[in-house]
Amino acid sequence: MEDRRWPEALDPVVAEFADCFDSMERYELLFEYASRSTNVLPHDRWNDGNMIHGCQSRAHVECKLDSDGMFRMRGGADAQIVQGLMEITRIAVDGSSCEAVSSMTPDFAEAMGFSSALTPSRSNGFKNMFERVVSEASRLMQGD
Amino acid sequence: MSMYDVEEIRSDFPILGRILPNGKPLVYFDNAATSQKPNAVIDAMSTYYKTYNSNAHRGAHTLADEATTALEDARESIAAFFGATPSNLIYTSGTTEAINLVAYAWARKNLAEGDAVVLTEMEHHADIVPWQELSKEIGIELRYVPLDLEKMSLDMEAYKHALPGAALVCVVHTSNVLGTRNPIEEIIALAKASGARTLIDAAQGASHERINFEELGADFVTLSAHKMAGPTGIGGLLIANDALAQCGPFLTGGQMIRSVSTDGSVYRDGAALLETGTPRIAEAIGWGAAIDWLSKIDFDQMHDHIKALAMMAYEGMREIDGITLYSDPSRPGSSGTISFLHERIASDDLAMLLNEGGIALRTGQHCAQPLMDALGVASTNRISLWLYNTEEEIQSFLTHLRMVCERFGA
Repeated sequence: MEDRRWPEALDPVVAEFADCFDSMERYELLFEYASRSTNVLPHDRWNDGNMIHGCQSRAHVECKLDSDGMFRMRGGADAQIVQGLMEITRIAVDGSSCEAVSSMTPDFAEAMGFSSALTPSRSNGFKNMFERVVSEASRLMQGD
Repeated sequence: MSMYDVEEIRSDFPILGRILPNGKPLVYFDNAATSQKPNAVIDAMSTYYKTYNSNAHRGAHTLADEATTALEDARESIAAFFGATPSNLIYTSGTTEAINLVAYAWARKNLAEGDAVVLTEMEHHADIVPWQELSKEIGIELRYVPLDLEKMSLDMEAYKHALPGAALVCVVHTSNVLGTRNPIEEIIALAKASGARTLIDAAQGASHERINFEELGADFVTLSAHKMAGPTGIGGLLIANDALAQCGPFLTGGQMIRSVSTDGSVYRDGAALLETGTPRIAEAIGWGAAIDWLSKIDFDQMHDHIKALAMMAYEGMREIDGITLYSDPSRPGSSGTISFLHERIASDDLAMLLNEGGIALRTGQHCAQPLMDALGVASTNRISLWLYNTEEEIQSFLTHLRMVCERFGA
């Protein structure tokens, strides 16, 4: 994937989705990613401060630095499609530097066949969630 | 047309032949949000912009005369369709603005601290928030009529208890969530007997039955053009003469002005007082064209058609494991709107998965959070049918819904 615009860790994920027969199979795979996620933000950590706005379903994301100063995120959502996209975003950003995360784009969603996830429609909070992660990385980079 | 010919009706709506980017034909079940527009509306607005676009009422030239005539002809057609006179129809941007107009032009001037306004848990936010704001401003009391959850209708006994001493009753004609058609005739009669004025939010109801303003006897009826084949950006307030006479200015400027000097301003009377700025000329012409088009439809036949489709959808959905229904389209007057949830598939997920089958439906709170609270849910999925939907579309929806529930809801 020479023209890749996402972290190398996502290559097998993007390839897996690209191999799907049709959109329903892609969504089934996304549901699998949501269910196999081991790092979901639990309900009791959902609050107004980490809520993703502009999403019809409830979605929350928590970002912090680990002991090595690398970026870590956890997300939680009512909708499995958003939860699955959060898990893939987590694979993309976890363990990266804040600087790297702050310059990431959500192009991988389109490469995986989820171009509709990038529209400003309120039905999907992925775009807002990704922007929130990027802005959190910028904030953490500045030591806020 | 003597027989209800759905294919003939569909042929007037070019968008209904659309194939979506995924190759699926569009199945449009989001009519409670906005209806599609027939060629007559698209052409009327296009002709206005192509041949006589001008500001209305003021210019001393041919185009201004033509625009003014078209604007006022549309008002006559729309008012006549609703059994009202043109002077009782105020153009607004839609139902939301119409209700705000009642709150700020009539209620703010005529209600005082302690006066009660009766609302219901079934109301759209547009018929709740203006009253909450006015309550904060002048101290009116808000009384909410609860839902009878078994019947998915208003608790009429609670309404009767809420009524004594109330100055205004605001009630939705037809629920945008449940499809329930409220007993507005009884509600208005009880309010009148109690000395309360009535506001009927007919945003949903006006596209499903012929509403006659004079016969209904409500003081205020609010309308949205875009839910009844017209364009977005316009609607109306039907207002009784004595209520109109009690109104003060709300928004100021534009057509409502009679004269302005540095010492002050004099306003026009009647409906003109409540229409400010440049009129929505193209939109009014489009709405008028929609009304002319709808006038050819037999609403009884349309209602029977929609009800048959809604019952087919309802019965099919009842047989799908995990689906809970929050509507009963067998109820008299139901609009064919059906809210539902799947117990294991989040509403947003379900809507996106159905979209993959070309099904356009709604998910969320539908601007009716108090109703969601009463139902004990955070959101619902909603299909809302209208006059151009078909049995084939219902079958396509049910087939795709069954497949989605089997693959994602196990």
